[in-house]
Amino acid sequence: MSGDSETHDIRPGIGGHLTAITARLRRITVQVHGSSASAGSGVIWTSNGLIVTNAHVARGRAGVVLPGGRALEARGLAWDPEHDLAALAIDADGLSAADVGDSDGLRVGDLVVAVGNPLGLTGAVTAGVIHAIGPRRLAGPSFIQADLRLAPGNSGGPLADARGRVIGINAMIAGGLALALPSNVVARFVASLRQGAAPVS
Amino acid sequence: MSVLLSLSNDLAGAVERVRGAVVAVNARPRLPSTGVHWRPGIIVTADHTVRSDEDITIVAADGRTLAASLVGRDPGTDLAVLRVQDTDLPLADLGDPGSLKVGHIVLAVGHGPRASWGVVSALGGRWRTWRGGEIDQLVRLDLTLYPGFSGGPLVDVQGRVVGINTSGLSRQLELAIPVSTMARVADELIDKGHVSRGFLGVGLQPARLPEAFRRRLDGASEIGLIVVNVQPDGPAAKAGLLLGDVLVTLDGAPVGTTEDVQAVVGARRVGSTVTATILRAGAPAEMSITVGERPPRRR
Repeated sequence: MSGDSETHDIRPGIGGHLTAITARLRRITVQVHGSSASAGSGVIWTSNGLIVTNAHVARGRAGVVLPGGRALEARGLAWDPEHDLAALAIDADGLSAADVGDSDGLRVGDLVVAVGNPLGLTGAVTAGVIHAIGPRRLAGPSFIQADLRLAPGNSGGPLADARGRVIGINAMIAGGLALALPSNVVARFVASLRQGAAPVS
Repeated sequence: MSVLLSLSNDLAGAVERVRGAVVAVNARPRLPSTGVHWRPGIIVTADHTVRSDEDITIVAADGRTLAASLVGRDPGTDLAVLRVQDTDLPLADLGDPGSLKVGHIVLAVGHGPRASWGVVSALGGRWRTWRGGEIDQLVRLDLTLYPGFSGGPLVDVQGRVVGINTSGLSRQLELAIPVSTMARVADELIDKGHVSRGFLGVGLQPARLPEAFRRRLDGASEIGLIVVNVQPDGPAAKAGLLLGDVLVTLDGAPVGTTEDVQAVVGARRVGSTVTATILRAGAPAEMSITVGERPPRRR
């Protein structure tokens, strides 16, 4: 209408990009209800129904609720107790799957976004930065440590970078920090399933 | 490239730029704190994290452990200065804390590196800490200071150090000491080993002034400060202040709390004079007190 509208900057600002990333992450995040009545999150790893979550959330049969609300029974495929990872399978196809990134490329200070179901609230998003990279203790898996506010229920959900690529699976909260399994570790676990070489099947 | 990705790159870049000047400080049992390499061989850290005067070491960004000596400390501003022999550590790139605005994104960085992000939550003017130190600007942060982060740098998105983070100046708030204060205090610590603070050498107790006393004074003060202790040979003793005198004004300003007194005296140059209005046995009098130097705290 007015001449002004042509000069408006139509690139979305930070808020717009964060909203877009959140929407994409919600499409690949599921609710997982494990056998011990624990509720957490999970990530749709492949379009034909492979779900990755934390072993402490579920590792055998579990109830999965897809982003649209559809509830399905999932069967446990395998789990890795050392890395607190579990793979579940649901009978569904054509699902939106996670766009997985390279966790080795993360730097301290990089923005990260987590989506999950903290305290029963579905699809909640929180943003922060990478706090530290490297082993937290001399022994034990290398976690991504993020300056991020998670709550129980975020476990098993995705941690994404500023491009919206999944670079981790949120595993726990310790000392105010969010600890996540790096996506490269998850990828190795998923690859081992195909070879039938998963730690526990 | 999206602005989000651009911000992520800026933040990671800021950490990368500052990390060379960020050291871990081992000056207390168990939990190291953080320090900033400010001038060649000079590390600034948070005073409350320095528990021992000896056997202090620092860990540089490259992992080397170096011996450090305590140059001076100022509990008033929660700053301490250490000296290391090795001067080829990278120096911090300082920014201008005056350019900070509420809402600016900032990072707290620790040795490792480790980082925490947030925004400048509030800014205020010159303020006095609970230990009598004067800080040029109140910088309140909305970010998490993780264990050991005190003494470390507050960094802007360009990687410049604009303050020293500390949890030691307030029980609830995360605060930063602007680099302008840091430089002033550190210079004095290097020069003298301590920070000179004006003091009077009196113990004071607030008391409500009875109507009869108030009528004797021009001012409308309802509260005065009873002198309950006079330090022998202190500035007040030398001026003739006696136990039982009631201090009512200092340099014309009514004083009702010890903070009021510190506000006037603490910032005064040692050797300058303050005029005190007192009530002695109910009768008003004026005295001139020469401000003395607060003796350094002995640990």
